[in-house]
Amino acid sequence: MSAEALAAIAAIQGPATAQGAQASNASEAFSKMVSEGLSSVNQQLLASEAGLQQLASGNVENLHQLMIQMQEAKLSFDLLMQVRSRLLEAYQDVMRMQI
Amino acid sequence: MDHNQIFAVSAQGMSLERTRLEVATLNLANAHTLVGPDGSGYQPLSVVARSVGFGVHFNEAKMSVGVVASPRAPRQVYEPSHPNANAAGMVFYPNIDPAQEMMTVMTATRAYEANVGAMNAARAMSQKALEIGGTR
Repeated sequence: MSAEALAAIAAIQGPATAQGAQASNASEAFSKMVSEGLSSVNQQLLASEAGLQQLASGNVENLHQLMIQMQEAKLSFDLLMQVRSRLLEAYQDVMRMQI
Repeated sequence: MDHNQIFAVSAQGMSLERTRLEVATLNLANAHTLVGPDGSGYQPLSVVARSVGFGVHFNEAKMSVGVVASPRAPRQVYEPSHPNANAAGMVFYPNIDPAQEMMTVMTATRAYEANVGAMNAARAMSQKALEIGGTR
């Protein structure tokens, strides 16, 4: 086998390995996105909890800020739950697939 | 989420209406406190609110809310038996119109309700958006 042939094989294999790396990068990016979303929802829930504690101890500046914060946290959590149910549906669809 | 911008704008409106109510309450509470003939004592307060940065970018709209004393000549009431009456029998009170302050209280309450309504509409919209394509 000549050096040119080896180079040709490498040229064919190159894109394939690059694709594999891309796929793993994409899955990493997706899991990163999911964990970032989770942590931001968690942050909002924690902030609401802190606001509620402040309200309970009587030093809250204005009530509507707290209520809006709680609403934002609730909406983010609802979004999280919707994303979760969509993912789970897709996963179950794949698992039920006839082979 | 983009609906949070609507929440933030409504929150600014709510803060402004709350400040208006606070100032009206303070004015009403101090309507019958004594002031000196030179105007020393309680000064009627007013809320000055301006929209800052309102323009193309909806989320950059900000409000500057300030509370300023509006110097008005004190109200003179003829009460000769009052211990603080002057030689002419006049006592000085801050120039506050209770009817006007009550109007401020009512309009602030209604405007606050309007802001809450707008915010709830945004919330209902985003919750409806989450139902897109859902089975439950």
